Amino acid sequence: MHEQSGSIWKSMRTGTAGIGWFLSYVAVRAAVQSPQPFSRSALIAIVLLPVIPAAFFLFFFIRDMRRKDELERRIQLEALALAYPLILLLLLTLGLLDLVIDLNPEDWSYRHLGPFVILFYVIGLWFSTRRYR
Amino acid sequence: MKNRLRVLRAERGWSQAELSDKLEVSRQTVNAIETGRYDPSLPLAFKIGRVFRHKIEEIFEE
Repeated sequence: MHEQSGSIWKSMRTGTAGIGWFLSYVAVRAAVQSPQPFSRSALIAIVLLPVIPAAFFLFFFIRDMRRKDELERRIQLEALALAYPLILLLLLTLGLLDLVIDLNPEDWSYRHLGPFVILFYVIGLWFSTRRYR
Repeated sequence: MKNRLRVLRAERGWSQAELSDKLEVSRQTVNAIETGRYDPSLPLAFKIGRVFRHKIEEIFEE
């Protein structure tokens, strides 16, 4: 019981770090998209700020993965095995499309690809979790 | 791979949660092994054998 509550606390810590990363991204995006008095080099430094909460998230996430049992690790692996080729497919297809048509950067820039990466991972997680349920 | 995990667990009156505690795995893992959806690694199979005081081949069969 004590171990279980410790496990929940550690997962919450990872979740909190993830939310912190997301909020820092949203805040930085809002800051750089609004009219601001910052110089170009200051803006680059601001844009790099979410790397700090991301590093915390990555640290806790990897610790969580190491604590998981073998089936939970397999589920994560299978989720990534599905998500990774899908991400590659999306990038390669966009790359090819970019050669033949002008992709609107307001629809298809780097910042639009992040949600797809998360979506593919969640789809992979759903499929692999369902398989072993 | 077939196994007698559910039978052995029932004989001892353990719940899946109790067995998962003894094996230090999640309840989902115990359930997946019992239903044959997941074949455990050799270290986990040995652990299962130790918990039930049986040889691996007495619990698992092809």
